[in-house]
Amino acid sequence: MGQRKRARLKGTLASGTSDGAAAGLHGSVKHNVCMVSDFFYPNMGGVESHIYQLSQCLIKKGHKVVIVTHAYGNRKGIRYLTNGLKVYYLPLQVMYNQSTATTCFHSLPLLRCVFVRERITVVHAHSSFSAMAHDSLFHAKTMGLTTVFTDHSLFGFADVSSVLTNKLLTVSLCDTNHIICVSFTSKENTVLRAALDPMIVSVIPNAVDPSDFTPDPSRRDDTKITVVVVSRLVYRKGIDLLGGIIPNLCLKYPDLHFLIGGEGPKRLVLEEVREKYQLHDRVRLLGALEHKDVRNVLVQGHIFLNTSLTEAFCMAIVEGASCGLQVVSTRVGGIPEVLPDDLITLCDPTVSSLCEGLEMVIARQRAGTAPHPAAVHAHVRTLYTWMNVAERTEKVYDRIATERVLPLDQRLRRLRARCGPVAGSIFAFVAVLDFLFLLLLQWLVPDSLVDVAMDASGPKGLWAQNSSRDKNIRPKYQKSVGSS
Amino acid sequence: MGADGAPWRKVLYERQSFPDNYVDSRFLEELRRNVGVRRYRYWAVVREAGLVAQQLSCVAVVLTLWSYMDQGQLTPATLLLGSVLCALLGYGLYRALGRGHSGERTRCADLQSATIFMAFTFGFSPVLKTLTESVSTDTVYAMAALMLLAHLVSFPYAQPSPPGSLSLNAALFASVCLASRLPGALYVFAMMTCAILVFALWPCLLHRLRDVAPCTFPWAAALVSLGGVAGLASLSPGGALLLTLTLLALTLLCPLLLLWLQRHKDNIHGPWDEAEIHEDLSRILRGKD
Repeated sequence: MGQRKRARLKGTLASGTSDGAAAGLHGSVKHNVCMVSDFFYPNMGGVESHIYQLSQCLIKKGHKVVIVTHAYGNRKGIRYLTNGLKVYYLPLQVMYNQSTATTCFHSLPLLRCVFVRERITVVHAHSSFSAMAHDSLFHAKTMGLTTVFTDHSLFGFADVSSVLTNKLLTVSLCDTNHIICVSFTSKENTVLRAALDPMIVSVIPNAVDPSDFTPDPSRRDDTKITVVVVSRLVYRKGIDLLGGIIPNLCLKYPDLHFLIGGEGPKRLVLEEVREKYQLHDRVRLLGALEHKDVRNVLVQGHIFLNTSLTEAFCMAIVEGASCGLQVVSTRVGGIPEVLPDDLITLCDPTVSSLCEGLEMVIARQRAGTAPHPAAVHAHVRTLYTWMNVAERTEKVYDRIATERVLPLDQRLRRLRARCGPVAGSIFAFVAVLDFLFLLLLQWLVPDSLVDVAMDASGPKGLWAQNSSRDKNIRPKYQKSVGSS
Repeated sequence: MGADGAPWRKVLYERQSFPDNYVDSRFLEELRRNVGVRRYRYWAVVREAGLVAQQLSCVAVVLTLWSYMDQGQLTPATLLLGSVLCALLGYGLYRALGRGHSGERTRCADLQSATIFMAFTFGFSPVLKTLTESVSTDTVYAMAALMLLAHLVSFPYAQPSPPGSLSLNAALFASVCLASRLPGALYVFAMMTCAILVFALWPCLLHRLRDVAPCTFPWAAALVSLGGVAGLASLSPGGALLLTLTLLALTLLCPLLLLWLQRHKDNIHGPWDEAEIHEDLSRILRGKD
């Protein structure tokens, strides 16, 4: 076992150096990337901002990026965002929780049209909850495009629903070229769920735009201590624990206030607690917050509290720390990997442990030994940047560009070998049907007859050529890539 | 070791000199398998399976009694007398076993409930008798069979007292169906009383028996099973043989199957699992009083 691991380790180092060499050689290789996910603006959340920020940074680095998602109400068709980032809002039926229905086939004509029109070379799908992401992976492999998948969430193994979704993930990822996870815990989870070779799974964390989350100590009231919570008010975020913490600490500390931003079914719990203990003046529920308002809420507090029961990365605590707050959080999922020990107090997911952690931080705050918000911010802003995420993602693209996409026969064999005799055979059959459907579409409208879209971003991007600002920026980034 | 000699750490906030797809020897070291999986012992499982077997036999007993009444070999008066005797005996046992329990209903309240119930069943038995007159007999039998099956499937074997509403309703519906094919209103009354006794009250007594005197429980279950088989044997030896085989499979083979499958159990736990809240948080809402 040890021998094998060491051999694997050597292999990693070797491939690491060859990676670097490849990047040096093909530093100028630009990719046409298509990001696919059901989750994108106007929907709000971690996945949405990840896709947007990553796309923007890739465009700045000279790649061409388009985003494909489903139509959100009246928002359908093609939209352009900042820097010529093109978004396709495809007319697909939404089933549940903003995820589209999947039949494995109906989205092929639309997605093929986009992939061909935009001359896509890499299909990058996001989030395992998104049916559209899995569909696009399936079709992209049928069309012979290289594929990348980013997993943003953790999943258990115990119940029936997770057994089924894990099987689907196995099918979807067994022939995907590369997988990206947002934390090491998430990588372990994904490798186990989809029975993958860990070597094709990279860990690239999320990031936070530090200029969006700057501290402002003048906005907080230092005569009292304010604990801020910004989260959806749902069970998985541990709102029941929060409901236990509030009365415990409010009885002990008369100058303690809670500021809670977010909306969800568990709001009832907090309202009941507030009613029961007459805490209306000390526990403020702000309701749903827009992304731009989050910073204004964060800077009003001294302590940021996160009570999540499961979390792959947790951007909220980075945002909190970036605003200069003392962070107290549960020790679950990937959270222990995110912030260094001097920026975060980790507790077990119980009321008593969280209260203990909070009391420690309150004592530090009262004694005045807590680090200054500006110092905390200066530390955090060096930890995670989107440009770093983009550089590391670019390396993944460079690496898979040299890899071969499995031809149909090998893909069928891989499906049967990795996904079990029953599910493997079924999906091998579906893959064959998908291939025949693609042939039909290619016969109806040959690739050569499909219009080629104007490039707004990318090497021949019209927007980039027109604006002198981008020209100034690009050489600078290329330099930084060369020097690193 | 990385390029600069520093060992790998499982942290994201540090830029480490390892490639992003690096796999350390500590990969998956926090993986735990089969945490808290129960190791079953064969005879303990057989004991518990006895509950399923005796419930099946209860259905057989009711069907046997109904069949005898249908053929006219059992008069309703005999059945009523037997039922009342059994009820009194069972009630006495139930009270005797529940002496330590607090919050028991008074004897007077029990008597009141029993009287109201008997009066209503007696009053409504002519209605029940004619309830399914317009429905063909085959349909009634099929419906009864389906409902008894539903009763067996939905019976709350883990917590049999009080019997679950779905299983109890299904059993009573089946009894009404069967009773409505009997020759007279008194027959219907006797049949319903007997059904209530077997499907509603017997599980309560059995549950208490299991709580207070666990050693007697297997005997009780075996007795009921034997009763069911013997009753069925007097009607149809083939049916009795089938029932015997089913009961044996339920109590002896199924536990064996469970033990065998348990060995193949492979449950994975790790830091990615959703944390569970073990504390009782409802007390916070219930208040400080």
